[in-house]
Amino acid sequence: MATAMAANGNTETAEDIIICRNVNKWFGNFQALKDVTTTVKRGEKIVIVGPSGSGKSTFIRTINRLEEHQGGDIIVDGIELTKDVRNIDAIRSEVGMVFQQFNLFPHLTVMDNITLAPMKVRRWSRSQAEEVGLELLTRVGIPEQADKYPSELSGGQQQRVAIARALAMQPKIMLFDEPTSALDPEMINEVLDAMRELAYSGMTMMIVTHEIGFAREVADKIIMMDEGRIVEENTANDFFDNPKSDRTRLFLSQIL
Amino acid sequence: MALNNAPSSGQLPPARYEAGVAEWMRENLFSSWFNGALTVASSVIVLLAAWFGLGWVFTTADWTVIVTIGGGFFIGQYNTELACPGQECFWRPQAGLLLVTLLLGMVWGIVGGVGKKVALSVAVVSAVLAFLPYDLESMGLDVRILLLANLPAVFAGYALVRYTSLITAQRVITFGVIVFLLILVLLRGIPGVPGLQPVSVVSWGGLMLNLLLAVAGIVLSLPIGIALALGRRSNLPIVKLLCVVFIEIFRGVPLITLLFMSQVLVPLAFPEDFPQNSVFRAAIIITLFSSAYMAENIRGGLQALSRGQVEAARALGLAGWQTTLLIELPQAIRNVIPAIVGQFIALFKDTSLVYIIGMLDVVEIGRAFIQGNPEYLGNARELFIFLAIVFWIFTYSMSYVSGRIEQHMGVGSR
Repeated sequence: MATAMAANGNTETAEDIIICRNVNKWFGNFQALKDVTTTVKRGEKIVIVGPSGSGKSTFIRTINRLEEHQGGDIIVDGIELTKDVRNIDAIRSEVGMVFQQFNLFPHLTVMDNITLAPMKVRRWSRSQAEEVGLELLTRVGIPEQADKYPSELSGGQQQRVAIARALAMQPKIMLFDEPTSALDPEMINEVLDAMRELAYSGMTMMIVTHEIGFAREVADKIIMMDEGRIVEENTANDFFDNPKSDRTRLFLSQIL
Repeated sequence: MALNNAPSSGQLPPARYEAGVAEWMRENLFSSWFNGALTVASSVIVLLAAWFGLGWVFTTADWTVIVTIGGGFFIGQYNTELACPGQECFWRPQAGLLLVTLLLGMVWGIVGGVGKKVALSVAVVSAVLAFLPYDLESMGLDVRILLLANLPAVFAGYALVRYTSLITAQRVITFGVIVFLLILVLLRGIPGVPGLQPVSVVSWGGLMLNLLLAVAGIVLSLPIGIALALGRRSNLPIVKLLCVVFIEIFRGVPLITLLFMSQVLVPLAFPEDFPQNSVFRAAIIITLFSSAYMAENIRGGLQALSRGQVEAARALGLAGWQTTLLIELPQAIRNVIPAIVGQFIALFKDTSLVYIIGMLDVVEIGRAFIQGNPEYLGNARELFIFLAIVFWIFTYSMSYVSGRIEQHMGVGSR
């Protein structure tokens, strides 16, 4: 695994839980990802920023194969993502995902939303799944909402349920696709708090977000994307205080 | 200072709306001169209709045609000498009804609420029929006792669920299937068994026939429709093509045409010695016809789901079939309950069309009776009004039950 990829300026080691090499993806004639190459170490928190349409959501969605990549390699926890369905299912149960629109199952209670996958995929008993479910709901601060339906919760609470639902599968990696973009401003912090707590617990996280303060606080590494390419990959401090690329400087001047 | 009277939580009580009858009328019936005129005009129409309508019902109308046909509405010519030579057959449909009320009692025990209303209505109506003022010759004591027995049957079903652990929800479903098959056997008879001499399906008729066809159609068209809807969305080209062709053919041809064709085409689909008859063929055609519509209803429900639902399920590691069964279908079906029930109602009404292939359903029983007895020709109006009410009671019940199911499932609110 420890192949040096000097050509791309990236060094892969056994510590790397996600390896992307020259990932390319097209939607019809439009190329959404262009030679995306990066690595994520176990326990690292990566924040991906960039203007809309820059391919950042598409990129993290290729990590659990919600989007299929058409060129290059993606290796997650030692398993290469190919057309092989078993590999895809294996990776999906190791990678949790939180969506912008929450995507809770509206016909199931909060508890059933959380216990469904552990019971059906991991074959846990209901009592075991519910025990873990209640633990996770307590962790995100809403154990009293277990028997409600998603529509009875606020946006912030729904997103926290979505985080608990993803964690119930005990994933090694968590992907966040603009988790606070659909929230009212006063609910953003409760979701960021849950993510912060998760970050400090040592979870490997890839986060697409516009919350620059949060990025600065938790990110080990920030990736800036534009027009399907990674234009800068830098530590959080250097990214904000000492950016390498002009595109980053322009982006920062527009959002700060 | 007034705020001191507010509840301790700091909330004010909701504003109270109090209005007398006069004020209510002014606000709701006569809010402007135009609305007032509309109110008056529509009241006049309603009153006139009620006056003349009820006047006709109670004075002019002659309801003897209904009384004369009597039990024929329920079982057609099943108990005639022609159908059951040398034996009494009335008890067989009646025993079937008893099984149904027993089943409804169990459903009441499991689901309560709307199940209770349906079970008790059916049992009470059946029991009340036992007191019809016919003389004993035309409606024997045994008939009346079997009708009355529906009341204890419904309570027996309820008690079996409530006071024993024999019957679970799953077993009620199994029992339902058994009841349906038992009724078919009861009606058809078993050669060589005394009291159960075979009765040709040609003699099956009346409401019994409509209900048998409707129940078979409803129970089978839902799963077939689901399968077709999923097939039409499948990525496998052959499966998709087959489903599209099936749906478009059965939706594109009138049911009457299909029923005519059933007599020639269905036999081709089975081995020559396969026991089949006109009821069986009609049931197949009605089921397939309804399935095609059902498939499109359900496909509509599936299309309406956001892509995020499937993505979330797949991201959690659920397999494709698990996503379909646990996430997509429950939501899709829930969203199209009104369309599904509409299809069930249409199917129930369409069962009348089997007269086309010579079967005497409840409408045809009446029509044939008038045709055969010209002295009742003037009473066609009473007959068809009665039939309309019978159909309406069943279809309205279906619509009522579906409304309650929607409420229970929180359709539209979550």
